[in-house]
Amino acid sequence: MMTSSESLLSVRDVTLRFGGVAALTGVSFDVRAGELFAVIGPNGAGKTSIFNCLNAVYRPQEGSITLQGTELVGRKPGFTAKLGIARTFQNLGLFTNLDVVDNLMLGRHLRMRTGFLAGAVWLGRARREEIEHRRRVEEIIELLELEPYRRTHVGSLPYGVQKRIELGRALAMDPTLLLLDEPVAGMNLEETGDMARAILSIQASGVSMILVEHDMQMVMDIADRVMALDFGIPIAIGTPAEVQSDERVIEAYLGVAS
Amino acid sequence: MTKARTMVTKYEDDLRLFRRSRWYQVGILLLLVAYLLVPTVASEFQIDVLNRVGYFAIGAIGLNLLTGYTGQVSLGHAFFVGVGAYVAAYFGTQHGWPLLAWLPMAALLGGLIGAFIGPFALRLRGQYLAIITLGLLFVGEHVFDNWESVTGGGAGTQVAAPLKIGPLDFGNLKLGSTVYSRNQGLFFLIWAVVAIVLLLARNLVRTRPGRALQAVRDRDLAAEIIGVSQARYKISAFAVSSMLAAMAGGFYAVIQQYVSPTEFGGQVGLFLSIQFIAIIIVGGVGTLFGSVLGAFVVGALPRVIENLSTNVDLPFVSGDKGGDPGFLTVFSLNQMLFGLLIVAFLLFEPRGLAAVWFRIKAYFKSWPFSY
Repeated sequence: MMTSSESLLSVRDVTLRFGGVAALTGVSFDVRAGELFAVIGPNGAGKTSIFNCLNAVYRPQEGSITLQGTELVGRKPGFTAKLGIARTFQNLGLFTNLDVVDNLMLGRHLRMRTGFLAGAVWLGRARREEIEHRRRVEEIIELLELEPYRRTHVGSLPYGVQKRIELGRALAMDPTLLLLDEPVAGMNLEETGDMARAILSIQASGVSMILVEHDMQMVMDIADRVMALDFGIPIAIGTPAEVQSDERVIEAYLGVAS
Repeated sequence: MTKARTMVTKYEDDLRLFRRSRWYQVGILLLLVAYLLVPTVASEFQIDVLNRVGYFAIGAIGLNLLTGYTGQVSLGHAFFVGVGAYVAAYFGTQHGWPLLAWLPMAALLGGLIGAFIGPFALRLRGQYLAIITLGLLFVGEHVFDNWESVTGGGAGTQVAAPLKIGPLDFGNLKLGSTVYSRNQGLFFLIWAVVAIVLLLARNLVRTRPGRALQAVRDRDLAAEIIGVSQARYKISAFAVSSMLAAMAGGFYAVIQQYVSPTEFGGQVGLFLSIQFIAIIIVGGVGTLFGSVLGAFVVGALPRVIENLSTNVDLPFVSGDKGGDPGFLTVFSLNQMLFGLLIVAFLLFEPRGLAAVWFRIKAYFKSWPFSY
């Protein structure tokens, strides 16, 4: 495990409001290089809102978010992609009419240069790039065991496989920070185990990750540090064991006898 | 060790457009033979119909890139066809530019105007975008009608744009001692362009820009987050689509040898736009060769019915051979048939003729098993 303590991502006092509703209030945390950082909390606690702020889909009213010193607040989603933030979606954001290879190749979009003219002509740059980037895509296909589905439209594949494809697409971006939104939601025990192993091997390759997940068993097993949210307010940050025994976390999850 | 010719051992092999299977090669050869043989055996009328099919195919490939691949609805396709037709009339005929100058000029102008319409698609989608693009037809009709120095005004203008590439004059083709008619020459020219456009478009959709278009269609937010700029690709899709529409328009003008504003604007223009939509729905939305299949059905139908009406007494139709009063004109009969075709295909074969072809192919691939 990496022990580097340098901070890759720094979130400071982020507050996000929709009209009168505060989705996030004063959220601060750091993600260190190579770390697997988990965010937990009951439904509606604001976990996915954090991702949307990191991706510049939402623009928080207050606070700052910096990745390796670059401010993300007020930027566009495409900018965060260029900086190396990749993401999977809670309810799948795959391109359903495209096959697995094309979905993963789209993850390589920013690393390729072929424009309309070069693409239409094919010979030359387009062909060279297709071959070069296909090589990386095939590595990911192998890592996630997607070989049987290469040329299948992803819309017709089972849910568990689609989740792996989405992880693959994010990985194809060769990200510095990977955001995983409930990667094992709706999966059975075996699929969850496969996904957990995949996540750990991605971490071993040096990618930092933020994991939003409801499966506590998995979070406690694989996360380095955990932040618990309740109604958009961070209530505990620490190692899995610390957060698990925190009274306020237990209260938020189970309620308290009145 | 020997391996089958079709076995894929390298990414280069996997990325081949022209597969190495015997069937594929035989198919390509048959198409080539048809290209050379058809104009010599078909009648003048049939060649004229096929030329129109070719013009429709080029425009429909453009619309399919926009609607089928990028998911943007447009009713303004006829306007861009008009732009191309008037480029053939103005630059080709009035200024006598050669084919290799006026045709690229049509594409360029069409593409430029298309790129200006593109930004509307950033704010509007679905039926709202359809309404905006519909407005183009009326703006277009007005401009074509009133910019008389360029368009010849409401009476229309003759088109005699040069059709010469190097030693080949497609308007008056002579090879050795064989002399071809204008229609035969046009057939060779138009269908060669169809093949080239199809090849370029096919390459486009299987490489980075084409994947980006489809990503925008399937999930625009997810596309944005992986770094595919919606704005860039929607505008580009409009530009490329209008480029092809304008090229098609150029060919329409030289087939017709005459253009007038009402053909591309207002009600008739709307009908033309709907014809293009019908082509991609009948042929297959999101499949390029479907655009060509659809063009055969939709492009040939009106001419065949018109021809039929002069020889046969059609029921309820006025102005046909029978001469009896009917409540339908040939034009409105055509309109009804297109409506019927669109509805029938959307209901029973939403992926068009291309899907039928894929099913047949899959059947024979797995034969004698049923799956």
